[in-house]
Amino acid sequence: MAIKTRDRIRAKLQDDHTVVRILLSHPMHTGRGKNDQDELIPAEFIQDIRCWRNDEEVLTVKCGTATSRNPYFAFQLNGGEIGDVIRLRWVDNLGAKGTAETKVV
Amino acid sequence: MSDSFDEYRRKIIKQSISASTLALVAASGLITPRVLLAHWPQDAFNAETLEDAILTFLGEAEEVDEEAIQFTIGSPPTYAVNGASVPVEISSSLQNIQRVALLVEKNPFPLAMALEPTPAMRFPFKTMLKVAEDSEIIAMVRADDKLYRTSRYVEIDIGGCA
Repeated sequence: MAIKTRDRIRAKLQDDHTVVRILLSHPMHTGRGKNDQDELIPAEFIQDIRCWRNDEEVLTVKCGTATSRNPYFAFQLNGGEIGDVIRLRWVDNLGAKGTAETKVV
Repeated sequence: MSDSFDEYRRKIIKQSISASTLALVAASGLITPRVLLAHWPQDAFNAETLEDAILTFLGEAEEVDEEAIQFTIGSPPTYAVNGASVPVEISSSLQNIQRVALLVEKNPFPLAMALEPTPAMRFPFKTMLKVAEDSEIIAMVRADDKLYRTSRYVEIDIGGCA
């Protein structure tokens, strides 16, 4: 299924830490929902999200079907500098992939 | 037809059956799923009870009753209108966190999300979960081979597991 809107990621330096906010664009079908014709919509959900700062891996998130539609995450990183590259990659259960990248401001 | 030829024919058939069976077993999925799903703990996410999910993902460890992990006040809320996106925020003062599990007790599959943080990451961690019905939302942390747990009962108006 084509995904039209883009994944969004923001990173901001605050005092001694970096705040990262992520909004992915994904339908996250659990496999139990039905469409207008009362047919089951097959499962389609993000399973694995990895996040890097520069080239250091900082967080892995594994999602089940109970993650809401257009998943949102926010977390903090120790330290950080303006200009650090925060990079993210996700994979869903059907093998679709996406990446997002931003610089710390 | 001579007896020896018959015997030979039987042997050939037997061998070909066992060879094709092996090939079938190999192709039908003993090998492929391990490669494809190595990064996703399928057993834990498909566990249908809370205990199974916790045990599979976090393993067995001493459970400590401490205030080292908390939900933020109002996140998750004690009452949510729409179960399709219930905000959840966890904070923790612990160091050396190995794994974090977010669970919704009454969901068909209780394990909702699993984190593997590194020392570079720190809490609070915020996200949104689907909650099917009124249920306990649980956050569990494994740090220094001990389990820490916090939970909050959330009432839901419209179930969000469609």
